[in-house]
Amino acid sequence: MSERPVKGQAVEEHCKTEDEKAPAVHIFPEWCKGCGICVAFCPKQVLEMGKDQKAHVVHPEKCIECALCARRCPEFAVYVSGDGIKESKNKDGGEK
Amino acid sequence: MPARLPYTYKYLRAKKKFPHVWCPGCGIGIVMGSIIRSIDSLGWELDDILMVSGIGCTSRMPVYVDFNTLHTTHGRALAFGTGAKMVNPRLKVLAVMGDGDSMAIGGNHIIHAARRNMDITAIIVNNNNYGMTGGQFSPTTPQGAKTATTPYGMIEPDFDVCKLTEAAGANFVARGDVYHVIELDGIIKKALSGSGFRVVEALSPCPTNFGRANKQGDAVNMMELLRDETINIAQASKLPKEKTQGKTVRGIFVDRDGMGYTERYQKLCDRVSPGVKK
Repeated sequence: MSERPVKGQAVEEHCKTEDEKAPAVHIFPEWCKGCGICVAFCPKQVLEMGKDQKAHVVHPEKCIECALCARRCPEFAVYVSGDGIKESKNKDGGEK
Repeated sequence: MPARLPYTYKYLRAKKKFPHVWCPGCGIGIVMGSIIRSIDSLGWELDDILMVSGIGCTSRMPVYVDFNTLHTTHGRALAFGTGAKMVNPRLKVLAVMGDGDSMAIGGNHIIHAARRNMDITAIIVNNNNYGMTGGQFSPTTPQGAKTATTPYGMIEPDFDVCKLTEAAGANFVARGDVYHVIELDGIIKKALSGSGFRVVEALSPCPTNFGRANKQGDAVNMMELLRDETINIAQASKLPKEKTQGKTVRGIFVDRDGMGYTERYQKLCDRVSPGVKK
């Protein structure tokens, strides 16, 4: 029986190889299922859906680190840098 | 040392169980993230927490978190949680249930856990149907909604989780949804830090079954529906009635300071057999 691939390990490896200048927002492609929630509700359109049906960071310079994408990601596949997720000033949690 | 691992990572059984089984766009993962962030901000030890669940989509949650976990029979999460809390009052018991799990087959358990004011936090993820078995109607399916077993629309009126548990005597009753996730974080944190029976109803989309049957579109459209069709309790109190018509009110409805069951039991023990250490 072949061994089941350990996908969490892949995420750890992914993080290790990341360089210091990497953008604040980061997506683990191993865990992303492509629901599009992070892309749709990003207030600055930092993310975009790729052809592989996974979210990609296309405009990292626009990111304001509100971490709404990380909070709303059901797959735990979005990570915004910093020690913890920053407190947003918008108590309602939305752009509306 | 991995430099960029999210801090939620240490609460997950990431190497064994991820990616999880929930469908793309299912809100249960967002509720789970909210619970993890709340526990992280409270600074609790992982070993002090017990997460109990029954059967269903939501009840897969204990599989993915690295607390003490108990995956039990359908609807009996609160019954097992009550037992665990009485044996070991040190534990912070957290029962995660779906709407079918808590309202249908475990309906009696939730009423009596609320009546006893058992020291448990019940997180009820309401996605309006039984998602795991193919989208049958549940007691919280809105009247008129289509599901796999009500193809011409649901004819029964639905349960209001918050009103039911409020009437049964719960200490803390609140409703949040997965679109307003920062609000949900605050509600869950407040619920966890209290005592007595605490209920949080989290509205969540089910794009695979409920959304498809009712032509509500994909996950993003269903999240937009949550945004447009819910209203905060503070906003609702300011607006005239016709503007809040048909909207679901979210927020904290009840925040009482009733004595929890374990405290009452301890007092009874002290009265009946003083000097005996438990």
